[in-house]
Amino acid sequence: MILTGSKIKEEVARGTIKISPFSEEQVNPNSYNYRLGPILKVYKSFDGEKSLFEEVLIPEEGYILQPGQMYLGHTKEIIGSSIYAMSLIGRSSMGRYGLFLQVSANLGHTTSEHQWTLEMVAALPIRVYSGMIIGQVSFWCNFGAVVEYSGRYGRLNRPQESFTPFD
Amino acid sequence: MILTGEKIKEEVSNNRIEISPFSSDRITTNSYDLTLGGTIIRYTSKIIDPKEKSEYEEITIPDEGLVLQAGDFVLGHSAERIGSDYYVPLIHGKSGTARMGLFVHVTADLIDIGSHGVSTLQLYATLPVRLYKGMLIAQVSFWVPFGDIVLYKGKYQNSTKPQPSMTYKDFKYDIFKKVD
Repeated sequence: MILTGSKIKEEVARGTIKISPFSEEQVNPNSYNYRLGPILKVYKSFDGEKSLFEEVLIPEEGYILQPGQMYLGHTKEIIGSSIYAMSLIGRSSMGRYGLFLQVSANLGHTTSEHQWTLEMVAALPIRVYSGMIIGQVSFWCNFGAVVEYSGRYGRLNRPQESFTPFD
Repeated sequence: MILTGEKIKEEVSNNRIEISPFSSDRITTNSYDLTLGGTIIRYTSKIIDPKEKSEYEEITIPDEGLVLQAGDFVLGHSAERIGSDYYVPLIHGKSGTARMGLFVHVTADLIDIGSHGVSTLQLYATLPVRLYKGMLIAQVSFWVPFGDIVLYKGKYQNSTKPQPSMTYKDFKYDIFKKVD
C-alpha cells in the first residue's frame, strides 16, 4: 500500500517518517515534493575504472544541464523512514521537460535516512536552480520483518558517486 | 497492494476507476494497456528555464507515423482518459515499447489520486522509432492507498492532449520559497 499525503503528514508528526525541513505545502495526494540541494557533481572523465566528477555550487542564476551529460545532485531535505520503504522519483513537471532525477534506481530502503543523491540526466538543455521543487518521494508499507539497511549510501548527505564495484 | 486485471475491470464497472474508452481486451494480468493519442508536443525553446513559459509546437501524427531519432524528446498522450478517486495509478511502458528503447515517462510514473484526464507521456527515444496514432504504447497499474484521501486539484487536471510543463506557475507562488 502507498501512503496518502494525509498519512505522510501524520507519520512525520509521529516521527516514523523523517523529512527535514518539512513544509505542509509540499505534500501531494500520495507523495511529498522535495527540493534540489545546492551541490552538483559534474562528470569530467573516466579513468578506466571509475568516473571522475567536479563539484560545483549552483549559482543564483541557475546551472544549465546539457543533454548527454550525467550529473549527481542531492535532495535539500533529509528523507528517511524507520518503517516504510520509499520510491524517489522526479515530479511530472520535470519529466515533462525530459529531466531524469534517477537512473532506474528509485527504491529507498527502510531505515536509510539522508539527503539523497540524484542521478540527473537531461534530454533537453535545462536550467536548474538550488532550492527548486524538483521531485517527489512516496512511501510504501512493508510486508515482513525489517532488517536495518547496512549499505554504504544510506547515511551520506552530499552527492555521492558510485563506490568502485569491488571495494 | 496492486490490483489485478480482474479487479481493475470490476472497479471500472463500479465507477471507482475511470478508463475511457475502455475495452476488456486491453486488460492484462496486473494492468491496462494504453494507446497513443494523435497529438505530439515538441519544445522549441533552446534552453528550458523552469521559471519561464517554454515555447513549443504541436504536431498531429500523420497516417504514415512520426519518426523520433535517438535522443529526441517529445510529449505524447494516452488516447484514454484515466483516473481514480480510490486508487493510485502508476504509468509504465509496455515491454514491447521498452525493447525499442523508448521511454514513456522520465522518472515520473506516479499519478496523484483524484487526477483525471489523458495522461501526458514523456517520450524519450534511445533508438530511432516510428510512432503511430493508436499504437499500444504504455500500461497503467492501480495501487491501494493507506490513509485519508485528499484528491488532486492541480494544474494538469482534465487534460485532453499533452500538457507541457507549467513550472512557471509554481514559481509565482512557491517554487523557491524558503522553508527553513
